[in-house]
Amino acid sequence: MKRRRSLFIHLSHIRLLAQKFALVILFLSAFVLMLVNKTDTILIEKTSSVATDVVTPMIDVLVIPAKILAQVYDYFHDLKQVREDNLKLKEENRQLNLLYERARALEIENKLLSGLLNFVVPPEAEYVTARVVAEEGDAFSHSLIAYIGNKDVTRGQIAISDKGVVGRVDKVSNVYAKILLITDINSRIPVMVEKTRVRGIVAGDNTMFPKLVFTPLGAELNVGDRVVTSGVSGVFPAGLPVGKVVGVSKYEIKIKPFTNLEELEYVKLVSYNLDDMFSAEEQGKEDE
Amino acid sequence: MSDNLDENIASLFQRMLPLLSSMFFLFLSYLPLDLSYLNNIRPVALLVCVYYWLLHRPDLFNLLSVYFLGLLADIVSSAPFGSNVFALLLLYVLVINTSRFFNAKPFVVTWYGFALLSFVTMISRWLIVSIYYSQFLPLTMVLFSVLATIAAYPLVSLALAYVQNSLMQGEE
Repeated sequence: MKRRRSLFIHLSHIRLLAQKFALVILFLSAFVLMLVNKTDTILIEKTSSVATDVVTPMIDVLVIPAKILAQVYDYFHDLKQVREDNLKLKEENRQLNLLYERARALEIENKLLSGLLNFVVPPEAEYVTARVVAEEGDAFSHSLIAYIGNKDVTRGQIAISDKGVVGRVDKVSNVYAKILLITDINSRIPVMVEKTRVRGIVAGDNTMFPKLVFTPLGAELNVGDRVVTSGVSGVFPAGLPVGKVVGVSKYEIKIKPFTNLEELEYVKLVSYNLDDMFSAEEQGKEDE
Repeated sequence: MSDNLDENIASLFQRMLPLLSSMFFLFLSYLPLDLSYLNNIRPVALLVCVYYWLLHRPDLFNLLSVYFLGLLADIVSSAPFGSNVFALLLLYVLVINTSRFFNAKPFVVTWYGFALLSFVTMISRWLIVSIYYSQFLPLTMVLFSVLATIAAYPLVSLALAYVQNSLMQGEE
């Protein structure tokens, strides 16, 4: 009897120890995962891509009923504003027609002048549009998952909306692409101030207003200045609107993105076919 | 024979409901919503699920379930891989060691317990990810997110209580 009891105590001790051991192992694995992720290996990227393909459809399934509910609400909400919007749109259309004619004239003039100067025209940009499946915008990361696979996009391509730059493609799997928003802590986009041509980098810090860094000392920057892509890295086309300066202090310059990053349903992915540095980088990694 | 198989499948499904409902709330929290600023302080419904099931059904929701959910969250998220696993494991340790104070107590006490433990979990995650990036992440957003999560607790726990009381009936 006594022997059986001691055996029972012995077994329960072992079970308790095993549980504690498992907990320690799992905690350690979490740290190892973070460290491996920090080294940015191909292995983690490929595993993550496959996992994203498996997991994301589950979110995609939930998107449809959520969208229908939102659309029903919007339908009734919008009914009230239809007449007012119609008048506003007619006026906007009239102004846009005028601008279009002006832009056409300028384009022709630009072509003629470029020809005179032997200006090398950069390649035409190609666009593909993708539906947003999931979004994340907390203190830890700002990203989107879009329904577009590696046949149509590559890592590093820029994502834009109708108002301006949204972010950059970070990971691509067979069916989905993770897009790092310009507000994410890992995002860096070479930009310039439209009016003064002062160059800098828009760096995300996981807040809603990214910072403008690496601007020249004494550069003239004012609240309200428009910031556009500079095209310096050779990955992004120049002149795409990014945001406007909303705060200039001694320590930092804050930018407010033109696009409302929280209300994106579709994103356009731009392929500029310049130096495909990310593909080259990946090729290099694979060769290693 | 067929009845037996059906019963077994139904029983297995009921036993997996804590994990499945947590997965549902995890995916739900990544849905694209047109909610301007509120999007940045979304409640972390997964924390509520982990706390609720560890408190009410620890027999069906164990360490491996927590780890699996952490991995899933890390796959969807763009935050450093492993940070969600770390946060959920920490919550697991906290709940397991304090469950005797909060279990089978009035709702307000359970809610208070969740507020306390989710705060510690989120702040710890904030600290670990800040170390990872070698710079402090915006603490205000974390605090707002904690508040949103605490505020969402009654609603999410109500849904989970429905799952437990209606869909898991006869599972034991």
